[in-house]
Amino acid sequence: MSDHSHDQESSKNQGSEYNQNLYEKSKEYYQRLFRRFVLLTLICSCVPLVLVGWGINYHYTHFTKGRVKQNFKNQVDSHRTMIELFLEDRKSTLQSIAKTHTKEFMSQTSHLRRILGLLNMEYGQSFTDLGVIDHQGDHLAYVGPYDLIDKNYIKAHWFQEVMGKGVYISDIFMGYRKSPHFVIAVTNQEQGHRWILRATINSESFRDFVAQIKIGQSGDVYLVNDKGQLQTKPRFRGHIMGKDPYKVPVKQHAGIALHTLKASSHKEKGDIKKQLVATTWLDSPHWMLVVRQDYSEAFNEIYQTNKTTLIFLFLSTICILLVVILITKHMVSVIKNRDKESQELNKQLLQTGKLAAVGELSAGVAHELNNPLGIILTEKQLLLDSCQYQNPTLEELKANIHHSMDQIGLQVQRCKRLTQNLLRFARRTESVVEPVDLNSFLNEIIELMGREAASSGIKFFSDFDDQLPVITSDPSQLQQVFLNLVTNAIDAHSGMSYGSIHLKTKAVKDKNQVQIQVTDTGCGIPQHTLDKIFDPFFTTKPVGKGTGLGLSICYGIIERLGGSIEVESQPGEGTSFYIYLPIHSPSTDTST
Amino acid sequence: MNTRILLVDDELVFTDNMSKLLAIRGYEVKTANSGYRAIQCLEKERFDVIVLDLKMPGMDGITTLKEIKKLGLFIETLILTGHGSIDTAREALKLGAYDYLTKPCEIEELEKKIKGAWEKKEEAETKDTEEKIRQVTRSPASAFRIFPKGSK
Repeated sequence: MSDHSHDQESSKNQGSEYNQNLYEKSKEYYQRLFRRFVLLTLICSCVPLVLVGWGINYHYTHFTKGRVKQNFKNQVDSHRTMIELFLEDRKSTLQSIAKTHTKEFMSQTSHLRRILGLLNMEYGQSFTDLGVIDHQGDHLAYVGPYDLIDKNYIKAHWFQEVMGKGVYISDIFMGYRKSPHFVIAVTNQEQGHRWILRATINSESFRDFVAQIKIGQSGDVYLVNDKGQLQTKPRFRGHIMGKDPYKVPVKQHAGIALHTLKASSHKEKGDIKKQLVATTWLDSPHWMLVVRQDYSEAFNEIYQTNKTTLIFLFLSTICILLVVILITKHMVSVIKNRDKESQELNKQLLQTGKLAAVGELSAGVAHELNNPLGIILTEKQLLLDSCQYQNPTLEELKANIHHSMDQIGLQVQRCKRLTQNLLRFARRTESVVEPVDLNSFLNEIIELMGREAASSGIKFFSDFDDQLPVITSDPSQLQQVFLNLVTNAIDAHSGMSYGSIHLKTKAVKDKNQVQIQVTDTGCGIPQHTLDKIFDPFFTTKPVGKGTGLGLSICYGIIERLGGSIEVESQPGEGTSFYIYLPIHSPSTDTST
Repeated sequence: MNTRILLVDDELVFTDNMSKLLAIRGYEVKTANSGYRAIQCLEKERFDVIVLDLKMPGMDGITTLKEIKKLGLFIETLILTGHGSIDTAREALKLGAYDYLTKPCEIEELEKKIKGAWEKKEEAETKDTEEKIRQVTRSPASAFRIFPKGSK
């Protein structure tokens, strides 16, 4: 008794371990499912998001860059016009003064001083000095802060130019005063001799004028002559008449040229930065107007937008991630529940199959029990009758009783054998893996089913291998398999007067397996249903007669016991089932 | 005239005992241990009631019942079976069996059912005879058709 309960205990432990394993497996499975789901959904939702974001951003950047550059060009253009106007204005004023006054009048310092005063009042202190020079380069009159009255300019570059052209605006030069400046000179013809009115432009006020448009924090506006000398001082670095600190290439071109080049930034010399530079040439003097700005500042708007876009994308991705994780979690839990339900259903199905098998078995057993009981009842009645109708002698009565009791004894034996067999089967409800002698196991089946089959005209034949090894397997489940197979074999003979069922066992040595063959001489299975016979709910029996579960349960059990089942059938001739079982079956559990 | 009964069952002991019991109660009983035997008996002799087991090797009860019906005799069939399946019993009733009993059953019960079956058979036979007489009186010539030469 204690041994038995111990066995049960250990089998339960094995079962729960097995369940635990199954549970672990499914947990891993759901985790994998979850990860795969999340990854797929993320790819599906983030790839379009990134593509659209990138597309819009690319388009916007392209558009904005064009706009910024156009703006830059426009500014340069308008600024050039303004500088040209500034110089043109002063030049024409000087020209009209020279044309409308005589050399004699102009040569008087007091007149010249008045004119300089008037000009500076008109143009806001933009003239430094004013001088009248004769055709030999000598000063006739001079007003201004420098002592230049006795200087001769015959060798000066500007003097030669203005004598040739009649009007000239010089580059910045040092001259006699030893400080950078530039002059506007105009000539007039009087009595066969030319004289010159020369004005020096206040380079401070000119620089202020040129640099009056301030472009952002890093923007810069300056002028360069055709030799690359600075004509106005840039905002941050470089000296007048010095080299261009930004090294903008000096090249003749029409209209406005836009360059992007790398140069030291406005702040530090070593800090190389990308620059956006626009250049244009003035008509007269031949100077190049340079407007430059740090690239990063010029396109700051784009950088800001890019940053915003990135932040937006990042936030969207996080939102999507959160939603995806939530939804997937929910979905996986729904799937988990469904799986649990279907597992539950499968369990119920197995139970139903078991019950159906038991039902079929009990119907057969009832017949076998009722027959001997019927005989016993008739024996009783015979004894009663003999007393009632025949008035027998004591001898006769004794003989009658003896005969009846013998018969009753025989029938009781028959009943007892049946119930014993039945009990032996009924006891095998616990799922235990234990040694099974298949030959005697199958003999029990034959004994249990034999009489019922015989009453349908079916005989059992057995061909057992004496050398068959004892296998370890689960007898309760094997019992279900063979009961199902034998019941099917009997049912296959319905409508036939006689038939036989052969049970054969064989050791398949090289594979460490045993083979059990169940062959009947019944109606057989047509080829087109042969593939379906192991499917659950597939049955050819009329509604209410078969559940269609028997063979699918057999298949499941054999698989779980580590074996396999094969079928061969010839319609009209019979069917053979071949079952292969390993010598050692793995531990199983009926509840799964 | 005693009621003539044919007992059909594959259990020899059962048919022997039953025939003894019924004989004491004044029935004329014959036994057959298979469906074929039963049909043979029916072809040779006249019976009033057949007591038929359903589960037999060879020809089973249902097939035997169909064969009996094919013979077209005035006879009632009573099913007595150990097989408790309601389905087979219902099928038998559909095929024209009078009633069914399950083994084991008391002799009184069986007798009652046999009596019922006999009465039903008598009634049907009387009705049929009356019908034939009516036809004969209507047209005497048809009598030759209904009672051919050699019939009792």
